[in-house]
Amino acid sequence: MSMIHTAAATRGRAHTASAISVSDVSHTYGARTAGGMLALDGINLEIGDGEFHCLLGPSGCGKSTLLYLIGGFIPVQAGVISTSAGPVTAPGPDRSIVFQNFALFPWKTVKDNVLYGLKKAGFAAAEREQRAQRYIDMVHLTGFENAYPSQLSGGMQQRAAIARTLAVDPGILLMDEPFGALDAQTRRVMQEELRTIWRDSRKTVVFVTHDVQEAVFLADRISIMSARPGRIQHVIDVDLPKDRGEEILENRAFIGLSEHIWRLVREQAVAATRGAH
Amino acid sequence: MMNMAQARPLADARKSPVQKAPAPRPARSISPQVVDIGVQVAVVVVLAGIWEFGARFGALNPFLLPPLSMVLVRIWEDLIAGTVPVDLGLTLYRALTGFAIGAVIGIPVGILMARSAVVRWFFDPLVSIGFPMPKIAFLPIFILWFDIYDTSKIIMVAFSCFFPIVAATYAGCSSLDKWPIWSARCFGAKERELLWEVYLPMAMPQILTGLQVALPVGMITTIVTEMLMGGRGVGGAMIMAGRFADSVGVFAGIVQIILLGFVVVKSVELIRRRILIWHPESRR
Repeated sequence: MSMIHTAAATRGRAHTASAISVSDVSHTYGARTAGGMLALDGINLEIGDGEFHCLLGPSGCGKSTLLYLIGGFIPVQAGVISTSAGPVTAPGPDRSIVFQNFALFPWKTVKDNVLYGLKKAGFAAAEREQRAQRYIDMVHLTGFENAYPSQLSGGMQQRAAIARTLAVDPGILLMDEPFGALDAQTRRVMQEELRTIWRDSRKTVVFVTHDVQEAVFLADRISIMSARPGRIQHVIDVDLPKDRGEEILENRAFIGLSEHIWRLVREQAVAATRGAH
Repeated sequence: MMNMAQARPLADARKSPVQKAPAPRPARSISPQVVDIGVQVAVVVVLAGIWEFGARFGALNPFLLPPLSMVLVRIWEDLIAGTVPVDLGLTLYRALTGFAIGAVIGIPVGILMARSAVVRWFFDPLVSIGFPMPKIAFLPIFILWFDIYDTSKIIMVAFSCFFPIVAATYAGCSSLDKWPIWSARCFGAKERELLWEVYLPMAMPQILTGLQVALPVGMITTIVTEMLMGGRGVGGAMIMAGRFADSVGVFAGIVQIILLGFVVVKSVELIRRRILIWHPESRR
């Protein structure tokens, strides 16, 4: 089991610069009222440049909250989150996000959805067209450029959302259980595609999931979060080959690591259920 | 087509890859829509026939209910005499102008109510009181303030259209899904851009519903103000006919109003379909 390292939460990878640095971040929902709920408690996390990082934990552990804080969608109450561009205070095109429920603009066609981000990013008209088409082709939605989101299946909508986000070429890609709403087969295909896209583009990815296998399949490193209030319990390096396909699911190292992580997550899930009663 | 073929294996296997916009149907089978329209037309024709023959064969006093044919002949005569286009045109002008003013004021107020607590504090009680109130009760005041000609009528119409439009816009803008808003902000949209690029398109179905409720209200208000104030316009012409015991003239006015209302309401439905082409409701 030498490939399993449980590192201290704050320790970054030695050979890469930090793309995202989270220090002493806590978050309370309803902080202004008496019955505030502590969602995140003293989070410290360094995510390296070009790293694929998974936040893994039971439902309600605050992993989405942490992602929204990194995205700048909710204001940081305590602690500091910074990227290479400085402290995070608002959403920005350097940190693009794919939401669990796609969040496409339903009144725009697939192509116009992709063009929207490109326009905001200031690309020239000709280049916008070109890039939009390139990324639509990349997610295999060629032929559906003029379809509206409501005409597409869930898997296709999510691919459109991914194309829209990747087209603006964000340095950091935030993903909030993006495949949660998909059926098992589509999900597997999307995971492989995402892994390929990431390998080719070398973006920093922060990927939220509660699915252990998904996390092990995708990630370089996995942060296992505790039940509420969310804390980072373990940070685990995934020492598996860079090229991962269907066959890796049979790999003994993959299975061993998945089981190890499953036990760690289970402790938290059990704690969460106890805490709820 | 090559590309389509490549995309297919990756498409979600459970569902058909795309629900295509309604394709032209084969000519041999009659589409349900055509049957639907046919049945509705038949109902109108049958009722018109009952009216015509009921009145003609003495079931009813022709003064109380003149046959449809007489009414249509009257409309035709007035059309040639030039009074129908003037009356219909005036009524339509008053209704649409008032409606447009109500929309131009009502939509921004509704948006501001959803966006700003101060605006909401000011308008919420006014809308709550004003919405269920019979707006026509204000007519004497408007006559006093704005004279007896077009201005007071149009303001009366705008006033009655304002409330359903404000209420629908406010409801539509205050229950917006946060995800598309977050997406737009993530791509770098400014707060001012969000209004045009996200809030309005997202609230559009409900705003259009408000407009669709307001338009018939505006038509009703126009006819009633014309009836109460006299002068040209379909309402005024009907009251004049009534005073001269000209029942054919009154029914001619009713038929004109029905036709005008039908055309206006159907046009708005078509416009809605055009605007909401992206919405699942447009593919039912």
